[in-house]
Amino acid sequence: MMRHLLKLVWNRKRANALILLEIFFTFLVVFGVGTLGLYFWDNWRRPLGFDWENVWAVRVNMQAASDDTFTPEQVETSARLVREVGALEPVEAVAGAMMEPFSFGSFRSSLEVNGRRVLMDLNEVTESFADVMRTEVVRGRWFQPADAALSWRPAVIDEDLARAAWGDEDPLGKRLGKPDPQDPGPETRVIGVVRDFRHHGDLSGPELFVFYPKHLGNPKHRPPQVLLVRVHPGTPAAFEEELTRRMQSVARDWSFEIVPLEQTRTSAIRRTLTPLIVGGIVAFFLLLMVALGLLGVLWQNLLQRTREIGLRRAIGASRREVHRQIILEQLLLTTLGVLLGAVVVIQLPVLDVFGSALRPEVFTSGLILAMVSMYLLSAVCALYPSTLASRVHPAEALRYE
Amino acid sequence: MLRNYLKMALKVLARRKFFTFISLFGISITLLVLLVATAMLDQVFAPQQPETRADRTLGIYQVTLRGENSTFNGFAGYGLLDRVVRGLPEELPAVEKVSIFTTPGNAVSYVGGQKIESSLKRTDGAYWQILDFSFVEGGPFTEEDEANARFVAVINESTRDRFFGKVPAVGRTLEADGQRFRVVGVVRDVPILRLVAYSEIWVPNSTAKSRTYRKEYLGNFMAAFLARSRTDFPRIKGAVERRFRLAEEHIPDRQMFQKLDGGADTFFEAVSRVIFGEGEESRPELLWALFLGLAVLFMILPSVNLVNINLSRILDRASEIGVRKAFGASSRTLVGQFVVENVVLTLLGGAIGLVLAAAVLAGLNASGLIAYADLRLNFRVFLEGLGLALFFGLFSGVYPAWKMSRLHPVQALRGRTL
Repeated sequence: MMRHLLKLVWNRKRANALILLEIFFTFLVVFGVGTLGLYFWDNWRRPLGFDWENVWAVRVNMQAASDDTFTPEQVETSARLVREVGALEPVEAVAGAMMEPFSFGSFRSSLEVNGRRVLMDLNEVTESFADVMRTEVVRGRWFQPADAALSWRPAVIDEDLARAAWGDEDPLGKRLGKPDPQDPGPETRVIGVVRDFRHHGDLSGPELFVFYPKHLGNPKHRPPQVLLVRVHPGTPAAFEEELTRRMQSVARDWSFEIVPLEQTRTSAIRRTLTPLIVGGIVAFFLLLMVALGLLGVLWQNLLQRTREIGLRRAIGASRREVHRQIILEQLLLTTLGVLLGAVVVIQLPVLDVFGSALRPEVFTSGLILAMVSMYLLSAVCALYPSTLASRVHPAEALRYE
Repeated sequence: MLRNYLKMALKVLARRKFFTFISLFGISITLLVLLVATAMLDQVFAPQQPETRADRTLGIYQVTLRGENSTFNGFAGYGLLDRVVRGLPEELPAVEKVSIFTTPGNAVSYVGGQKIESSLKRTDGAYWQILDFSFVEGGPFTEEDEANARFVAVINESTRDRFFGKVPAVGRTLEADGQRFRVVGVVRDVPILRLVAYSEIWVPNSTAKSRTYRKEYLGNFMAAFLARSRTDFPRIKGAVERRFRLAEEHIPDRQMFQKLDGGADTFFEAVSRVIFGEGEESRPELLWALFLGLAVLFMILPSVNLVNINLSRILDRASEIGVRKAFGASSRTLVGQFVVENVVLTLLGGAIGLVLAAAVLAGLNASGLIAYADLRLNFRVFLEGLGLALFFGLFSGVYPAWKMSRLHPVQALRGRTL
């Protein structure tokens, strides 16, 4: 049966080659858009590792000559700023950081860990960060004010990084390398592990994350670029004005910008989703175009084969058998196109094009999704024409001769 | 004769409505996507108000510091740019004007307990001569305002409406980021996609909260040069490149960074420098290749589809061709007929695509999804897209018809295919 069908398909290779090509490209489009969608869906389901509700970010611009220069006065002012903001009535807790969660930019460094180079995201935060962001410590401990006296630099890492670097081993007390191995500065040791932390937000992929401490009032530490302020639930937006005025009175020639994290989160989501939605719409129209095209071409092909079908009917094939032949032929063609596409697509994990960003389960579901969609698409497109074909009356069909 | 062809073409198209619909659908949707995408690119790159002189403007947009182990990619500071551009118009008459200005920052104001966020750009007097803003009222601030650090501001129409309502605002004051400015001019809204021109409030550089910016090597500043003509570009680029080399000696952290990359670019070159040149050199040809590649990738599927549909249509009409041949029609007449048919179909699809694209762009402009978007149709791309559709249409619709028209009428009549 299969061999016979193959022969039928081969006999019309010119017309079928074009259909095959179309199925092949469509498969690639469905796979691309589908996998991207699944990737973001998979990310969306994972916990963030912090609680953004009722937290406001205050971006502090010290008007310094460059990002790394600061004076002892600025350090002093910054510490006073945090104290004064923390004393305000609607404020629950304040922390300082290098950047706020969901922010567009990122700081990355590639460190030697456990004998390998690992690329990780980092942030420098004050001791109260874990309270403000409600980040859960699962092992070891978070930073303490007393850490300033340590002769080495403490670091808190997230579960992802612990797993990537040390697998099932206990990461506490382990060493993190330096960006530059020749650097004579103090060494870094892991003191705690927090839940998987995803700085870039709900739709971002897995991030390996490390926190370093920032001590307010320490003249060696740059004052925080961002203050994270947890306010009581239900604090009105009007408090922003009071907050700004209070901060301006502490630091007259600095600039402040207050953004609730809810807002940065929304814009982070929108930034990722907008191109995806636009791509999705374009892909949808492409698919619609292809579906209609396939329907038309199959229909046309069948009209041309009326005689052949009539002959089959005349020598005793039932309607159902004709039906089946047409649909199976189409599915065979689809299988060829899909196989061709799958061979191309499988190169992605084989050549490791996207690295760990393309999780195996996402890739597999994307592949299955694309295959199923292609079979559905061609089955639907073949259904109507095959019904028409099976209705051909043998006598009428043969009269064509 | 042509009228007959036209009549016939319309009749044929109306006869096979489903096929006609598929072809029209494919052509129009493809053109629609193409037109919307180019409208966006045009908004970023093409000379449009207020950057009408973009074709003779060069800029220093981003700089890269490079050392053994580290690279830094970002905006230059005022100090560095000042070092690079000072005295350039005097040294090189090809440079008409030079301006140094910041990237738009966020400025917060509170008006009657309401929070208003605006983009604020600090700039100088020459900026208003390089760019071509259309003023609704008042005028720009001047180099004198900048020299004397006067707290004056130019705002756009939407900002005026937010602060003062729809009434004239020149002479009134507004508070932004804790500073008070007197409004001297109101301009039409500028699309956010225009990097050099976009802002909502423009104030002099010298009104910055502290003077430290004047010494910054890195910061948030850009520079723009207005050349007398495009032919002067190579000379300006050369002069700027030499001044960059001199500025290398003043890199603040010489231990970490030894090399300063960047230069005077058109905006397209600047983008290609960031994406492909790692900041070191601009590679506009690669950026072109990227855009073209994306367009081709996107159009493969619709083209295959169009070819497929067209082939089916022709095969369907084998017997018609046979009859016409039997009655003495020449191959040329037949081909003429099919050409007219395909042209009519493509033009129809193009017209629908154009109308759809105009509607989508108008919707995007009105929706506020892209702040102050002013997306317009690009008729050159429309014609190119239409040409491509025509090519595939003729290639897939006329060539097989021509081959078939050379068959013997008897065979064609019997419905023999190719």
